[in-house]
Amino acid sequence: MSPDIGDEAVEIWFGPQHVSAHGWAAKLTVVGDYIVECDPHAGYFHRSAEKVLEFRTFKQGGLVLERMCMLEAFLAEYPYISAVEQIAGMEIPERAKVLRTIMMEASRIHSLQFWWGQLSAELGLFAMTLWPWVDREFFLDTFEELTGSRHAASFSTPGGIRYDFTDKVRQKLLRAIGRLESNLPKFKDMLLRSPTFKMRTKDVGLFNAEDGIKWGLSGPNIKSCGIPMDLRKDWPDPNLAYDLADWEVPVYENPEHPGQSDAYDRMVQRFMEIETSVSIIKQLLDQIPDGPIVDPKARAKANRLPAGEAYGRVEGTRGITTVWLKTQDKAQTPWRAKIRGPCFASYYSLKHMVPGSTFADFVVVFGSLDPYPGWWDR
Amino acid sequence: MKGGVLLQIDIFGWLNGILGWVSGVLSWVLGIVDAVLAFVWSVIIWVWDLAWANFFLLFKAIVFPGLVFILMLIIFDVWFTRKVWARVQDRRGPFHLGKYGGLQLFADAIKLVAKETIIPEGAKRWMFRFLPGFLLVVVLLPFVFIPWSSTWIIADLSVSLVLVFAFLTAVPVIALLTGWVSGSKYTLIGGFRAANNQFAAEIPLIVSSAGPALLAGSLSILNISQAQSQLWYVLILPISFVTFLVSGIASIGLVPLDAPVADSEVIFGWRTELPGIYFTMTYFAEFAKQVLYSALMVAFFFGGSYGVPTFPPVLNFFLKFLVVLFFFIVVTSSFYRIRQDQIVKYSWKYLMPLSVINIVIALIALVYVPGLAGLLVQGG
Repeated sequence: MSPDIGDEAVEIWFGPQHVSAHGWAAKLTVVGDYIVECDPHAGYFHRSAEKVLEFRTFKQGGLVLERMCMLEAFLAEYPYISAVEQIAGMEIPERAKVLRTIMMEASRIHSLQFWWGQLSAELGLFAMTLWPWVDREFFLDTFEELTGSRHAASFSTPGGIRYDFTDKVRQKLLRAIGRLESNLPKFKDMLLRSPTFKMRTKDVGLFNAEDGIKWGLSGPNIKSCGIPMDLRKDWPDPNLAYDLADWEVPVYENPEHPGQSDAYDRMVQRFMEIETSVSIIKQLLDQIPDGPIVDPKARAKANRLPAGEAYGRVEGTRGITTVWLKTQDKAQTPWRAKIRGPCFASYYSLKHMVPGSTFADFVVVFGSLDPYPGWWDR
Repeated sequence: MKGGVLLQIDIFGWLNGILGWVSGVLSWVLGIVDAVLAFVWSVIIWVWDLAWANFFLLFKAIVFPGLVFILMLIIFDVWFTRKVWARVQDRRGPFHLGKYGGLQLFADAIKLVAKETIIPEGAKRWMFRFLPGFLLVVVLLPFVFIPWSSTWIIADLSVSLVLVFAFLTAVPVIALLTGWVSGSKYTLIGGFRAANNQFAAEIPLIVSSAGPALLAGSLSILNISQAQSQLWYVLILPISFVTFLVSGIASIGLVPLDAPVADSEVIFGWRTELPGIYFTMTYFAEFAKQVLYSALMVAFFFGGSYGVPTFPPVLNFFLKFLVVLFFFIVVTSSFYRIRQDQIVKYSWKYLMPLSVINIVIALIALVYVPGLAGLLVQGG
């Protein structure tokens, strides 16, 4: 607590045993109903993933990464695999590139569906939580059909992918997308046009684009300020197939406060993300080339990597996710792996966003940033 | 005479005397027992006569519109709420125990009651134990005045409307006290939020119930419900009905206006620290209030026990009660939670003027619409 706040201030720990704080805790200094200081604490969810990576081979490393965030498992494992592929200089089969991209976008949709359900639960409407979660089950079914696992898919591997696309997977994916597309207008109506939702989210957690960049925000959080920052376009990955599809970076800029973003704008932005992902998936599903899914010779290179360092990155659901990897010659394990999770920035930006809002709005500000504790407690 | 006096004992006489003594003692004890039994019996006879003379009242107080019925109704309400909520949320709700999950609540209650009673270190122990039970009593008392029909009412009072709201005003005070004595910051916030809700909603609540009272010319809930034989008040007081519903939800603290127990913000508000049995009491009290407000709405706006003429009056009342309860639950399951400052703002800015405006409109309509005033029955 700063010394100038005075005696009226009360310190309240929001978490780690709070219902909405699973795996994190923030110390709030409250005067009346208003929060004057927010001190987020990391470390309650720490699994020392970076250290664990130093003891895992390059083929095993992806499994550690996807456990950082189970909701976007296909996306989360990719930066590490990308870094390994860059160091080894692998060539990826065309089919694997397209399938990777499709499943990464499906993972993004599934993660966003989970997120807005959780935000609705935090806002007190549990119906809006369970409706998208029913749709989400269809994506999980697809993942299960494809990889045998609903969450920890371990889909990508250095040199390609592990599981091939069958007709049944394709049908299930199409069914999941069809259901999502038919329900999306209903959900948009219920969220974006609901007066109670507007009351709770408009002008809540407002921040400028400059402040957002200063605090290191990325992904939908910064795109909702009107900044088209998207790694899928800005840094076209040669091992992914985003260039095969015709799409625009989804950017929402609220005309009421251009260059700023509040919780409502982030909601709109994430709906646009879902629509973009759906369009990318639908385009790529028609362009899956035939061929092998993994090149065994390339994959064998991952047993021992040459000395080098690489920076694998991907535009995750929550923002830019990167892994910096450094290896020594003939290494079986990384010398050092540094994970940059997108939510570390958004979690600590609460320091900037929360002061001035009411105690009741804290959870809305927090939820609207789509945080996942795994990403800040590496 | 030589020697000393020979002590002579008439042994048989003495033995004979024992018998007499024993029988005397026995008859004395028996006499006492007899007298006690006679007294007890006379008390029993007296109570029985009294009960027989007031059998109807006792039956009403304990069985039908009274305790047993109300508790069954609350249990039904918990089940009904969970089922409707589940349906709205694309779930099935409880279905394992009993027919359609009807026994689920009993299982939950057994689980909750069997839990260890943990009283936090910072709590005021005596008050912490006393308040939840007191809350349940305060919430159950107003059911005395609910007119299920003109005969099936436990007690009628010429000012029962005022008395019901007097009881209900105590509820947030108890919530605030519970939050205070629990010795936790979150419970304190929840308690003040409960007080805040009442501060926002109480005036619209009472003003919107003033409309029916004015039209019936009575402050007795029985008279208000019986005065609607020709015209249900919801037809001329529709806005009052809506304001009553909304401020009732705020007063109870149900979902769109449930800031006092908002689980994502203040864990469980003023109920956070309550263990097993005490939590069960407050949980029951919440549903009792929901039942109470639904019954009050039927009595105030939906013609009380009038309806299908061939049905028994109680059935009429009960069917309308079910419809209103269903509406109540659907309303509480389909909105996002509103912040507590917004609750105050909207209650004072919109609810209160609306509840007053409808009375004015109704009075103007009574003057200018021919034949409308004739439909009102004054004083029941």
